[in-house]
Amino acid sequence: MTSITDSPVARRIRERSSTARRSGPRLRQQVIPQIFLILITIACLAPVAWAVLSSFKAAPEIIRNPLSFDPTTLTLANYTAMFQDVPIGRGFMNTAIVLVIKGTITLFFAPLAAFAFAKYEFVAKNLIFGAVLITLMLPQIVLIIPLLLEMKELGWVNTFPALILPGAIDAFAIFWMRQVIAAVPNELLDSGRIDGCTEFGVFWRVVVPVIRPGLAGLAVLTIMNIYNDFVWPVIVASSDRMATLQVVLSTLAQNITGNRIGADYATVTGELLAAASVALVPLLVLFIALQRHFISGILAGSVKG
Amino acid sequence: MNIQRSTSRTGLASASLAISLALVLSACGPDVTSPSEQPSTGAPEAGESAAPSTDPNMLQAPTEASPSGEITIWDRSGDLYEVFDGAIAAFNERYPDITVHHEAVDIDAKLQNTLITGADVPDGVFLDDAKVAGFADFLWNTADVLAPYADDIAQQKLDVNSSSGGIYGVPFDSNPGLLWYNATALESAGVDATTIQTYDDLLDAARAYQDAVPGSAPIHLEQSPFLGQLQLEMYASQLGTSIADADGNLRLDSPEYRQILGFLDTVNSEGLGTRAEYLSPSDIPELENGNQVFYPWAIWFSFAPQQLLTETLGDWRAMPLPAWNDGGARSGAMGGSSFVLPRDGANSELAWLFYEFLMFDPAGYAAVWGPNDIYPDGLNTSIPSYGPAADPQDALFAPVDALGGQDLWLVATDAAAEIPGSVPTPTWWAGAVDYLGNDLQRMFDGDLTPDEVISNSTSDIQVNLVDRK
Amino acid sequence: MASLTRFSSKRRIAPYVFVLPFVVLFLAFSVYPLIFTARLSFTNWRGSGAAQWVGWDNYQYLLTSSQFWSSLGNSGVLWLLIIPVQLVIALLAAVLLDNARLRARGFYRIAFIVPFVMPLVAVAQIWVVVFDTKYGAVNAVLNAFGIPDVGWLTTTTWSKPALALLFIWKTTGFIVIILLSGLQSIDASLYEAAELDGAGRLRRLWSVTVPLLRRTIMFAVVLQTLAVFQMFAEPFVVTQGGPYGSTTTAGYYLYNHITRADLGTGAANSFLLVIIVMALSLVFVRMLRPKD
Repeated sequence: MTSITDSPVARRIRERSSTARRSGPRLRQQVIPQIFLILITIACLAPVAWAVLSSFKAAPEIIRNPLSFDPTTLTLANYTAMFQDVPIGRGFMNTAIVLVIKGTITLFFAPLAAFAFAKYEFVAKNLIFGAVLITLMLPQIVLIIPLLLEMKELGWVNTFPALILPGAIDAFAIFWMRQVIAAVPNELLDSGRIDGCTEFGVFWRVVVPVIRPGLAGLAVLTIMNIYNDFVWPVIVASSDRMATLQVVLSTLAQNITGNRIGADYATVTGELLAAASVALVPLLVLFIALQRHFISGILAGSVKG
Repeated sequence: MNIQRSTSRTGLASASLAISLALVLSACGPDVTSPSEQPSTGAPEAGESAAPSTDPNMLQAPTEASPSGEITIWDRSGDLYEVFDGAIAAFNERYPDITVHHEAVDIDAKLQNTLITGADVPDGVFLDDAKVAGFADFLWNTADVLAPYADDIAQQKLDVNSSSGGIYGVPFDSNPGLLWYNATALESAGVDATTIQTYDDLLDAARAYQDAVPGSAPIHLEQSPFLGQLQLEMYASQLGTSIADADGNLRLDSPEYRQILGFLDTVNSEGLGTRAEYLSPSDIPELENGNQVFYPWAIWFSFAPQQLLTETLGDWRAMPLPAWNDGGARSGAMGGSSFVLPRDGANSELAWLFYEFLMFDPAGYAAVWGPNDIYPDGLNTSIPSYGPAADPQDALFAPVDALGGQDLWLVATDAAAEIPGSVPTPTWWAGAVDYLGNDLQRMFDGDLTPDEVISNSTSDIQVNLVDRK
Repeated sequence: MASLTRFSSKRRIAPYVFVLPFVVLFLAFSVYPLIFTARLSFTNWRGSGAAQWVGWDNYQYLLTSSQFWSSLGNSGVLWLLIIPVQLVIALLAAVLLDNARLRARGFYRIAFIVPFVMPLVAVAQIWVVVFDTKYGAVNAVLNAFGIPDVGWLTTTTWSKPALALLFIWKTTGFIVIILLSGLQSIDASLYEAAELDGAGRLRRLWSVTVPLLRRTIMFAVVLQTLAVFQMFAEPFVVTQGGPYGSTTTAGYYLYNHITRADLGTGAANSFLLVIIVMALSLVFVRMLRPKD
């Protein structure tokens, strides 16, 4: 597999380049992108801003006047009610535990498997990669009943293994990392071997540093996917003790969705918005921290041909 | 990357892999052949009182003086959860050795899977009446334990929990349909709602109101397919019918449903109806501005005047529903829930004691419907389905300020007494919303006539739901 | 590609060891349930008791059911509404964010991630309120421009666009990150060369970036295609598949069987869906495969 930078297109362009002179920032170049990005940012943040601001309004008011905002009548009632009624601390803890363990498993084993697919030939390689593809294409909902029965046999219902192990090595992660690793030049691998690395050493000491931006992206996406996982946790581990954040919120919202037979539609909406606002914070903090740690390293030079 | 080549090789290899695995794993999964595995929901013949020893799924009450153990109870999160939680203390005064683990659960999402896999099954679950029959295979038959109380329980609630001659729930609340009306607005328009006896009277009153308040559309028409179907069944309940009879045969094609749909169609075509989803951001303003003044709905609508309708606070009242024919029943059941006891629960008999206390013991039902921490004036979004508890003269909850101090208890219990008997809800009731619920909405859109609603729904439900059972 | 010359035994074994963890998990948690589901698809099991063999009955019912086909159609329409739009927005955003000279790019990155971080249940509730026909914020804004109320969640015409907007809003950040990672492996000197040759920004985008990103774009398209066809949480929470089944996606229709304990039909539906989705993915892979 040739790397991107070896493609005929790239080669031709490179041949015609000379030492580049940085052109000074032109106004038009700066302004139009900024406008586009700002518009998108507004679109991204507006609903969230609405949710956060509304969470400080009296609950019936949120429903009656969704667009009103009167700074004089702000209240923390939704938050106090939420902290009383909703096991959100528990939800956070459980989510954190699952994130750390499952995330580590994927971030370690998926690139490893991808490395095997990208850089080795072995018996049944295509067969097993087919397995990866199948996993990717199966709707999650398909396997739920059988998987649940299996969890029961294993005694794992409402336990951490049930939340962590099925799908612990994300097929998507393997798929993506295979692509990223394929672009790593084989010469690098060989020089690692010549230097005396074991095969695993080649992976750990040569490949991993080189694919760091890909890994960073994978880390972010893995975290987001695990965090957002809703269908399976609701079904297999939704006791108060084991509920993850999404489950906690969906339990809360059940009076709103669908039937609205529950009498306290307004209160639940208020609590839901409060819970969502609270749930945002740690994830944002986490992402900001991740940003600085990993992604800033990208500019310093990584996979340059 | 060459997917094409790898796919064909993968295909062949994985096919052989699958076959060999299938042979190995064919022992797993539900047994496809042996009928002896089927648990007998075999209950005594319909009509006979159950002989205790014949039905293996019949629950027996505990006999010891002070039963002990732990039970897990599931309720939907919300105010009802809080109310039941508060009632646990009263229960423990009677049964100090039973520990109650009370969990707020998304029951609709979880119950089915929990019962199918038999993992971590609770001892008692709060469940919509419409869903009880669908889970009967997994539940205890409560006919025996309910026997001492059965004569005093609202017939409709017993009927709706019945299946194959057994009873599979402990009836909780009665949700009589009432006609909610904006008394103040109607008075100002010169319309006396209290004289309404039949739905024809209601139409006249609505027309009169519209003349006085041009641009108004006085009667609520439900826009949610699910709730619309539920409301339709409320109307049908008044006439002693429902979507299917005791044998599961559809009976939409009947004079009763024609009458109901005809009424709804008239309201719609004459512009007398405001169409909105129950208490949604579109619905509430229409209630506050005097546009919508008639709301035929279950007692649980009472939440709105108390919590949501601030501008018309004190204007709303409740009265029994109009009758379909002179002298007909002035109420029908809309929704309602019961408690079910899964057979896989560890301590189902103890859970029975819990519900027996809450529903049939004065201390219990006072704890639920009477004044408590959550509702200082009592829980007034439903009434008990147990006669002695639902005594019109002995109110559990106080007159409602938001209704101008009206004695809602009296209105509701009198209305509930008029609800005719019923039949079990078919297991496919919720699935029917895709057909009947949607067709009803299409009728409101003007795309279908009442007759078309009946014929389309009947054939769709027959083919897709009834025949595939 | 590593050539198949003489290797040390360690080197030969290594790949097996590397993929072993995945294989174990796959066998345990994918294969077993899959076989189970296959058997189930030929029965009418309802969750309790014995199951009766019904042969191809479930498949026949589905393939002749108008609801099954319209659920596929719904997913198809949603695909058309989502993928092209999302791809363009994400590509532009990723390219702009890749620019080292852009100010406040860290801030933008975080902003794009926020929708993904917001719990779906909360987002759905927001959508219900914000897209309300009479009192929602969206229509209020449209009214300000003289556009009359749009029945976002109440009409069959607009329910899919509303849902598509939700999906785009929630997942575009995800695609931006994937594209960004792909972009960052493109040598900056390639851009500068093109710039020196007089190519404007859009020209550079089209002639340099897109071809080199082809593999990544293909990957993103396949991924999102899978997601769109499996989509069920969004219609579940926001529209419950309505109005009139207009947002009953393939995934939601499948889910309905399972919630109604019609597990045999659900299993059959699952297999049909998998086949369709795989076929689509192969089509895209072929179409978008880089020419080298």
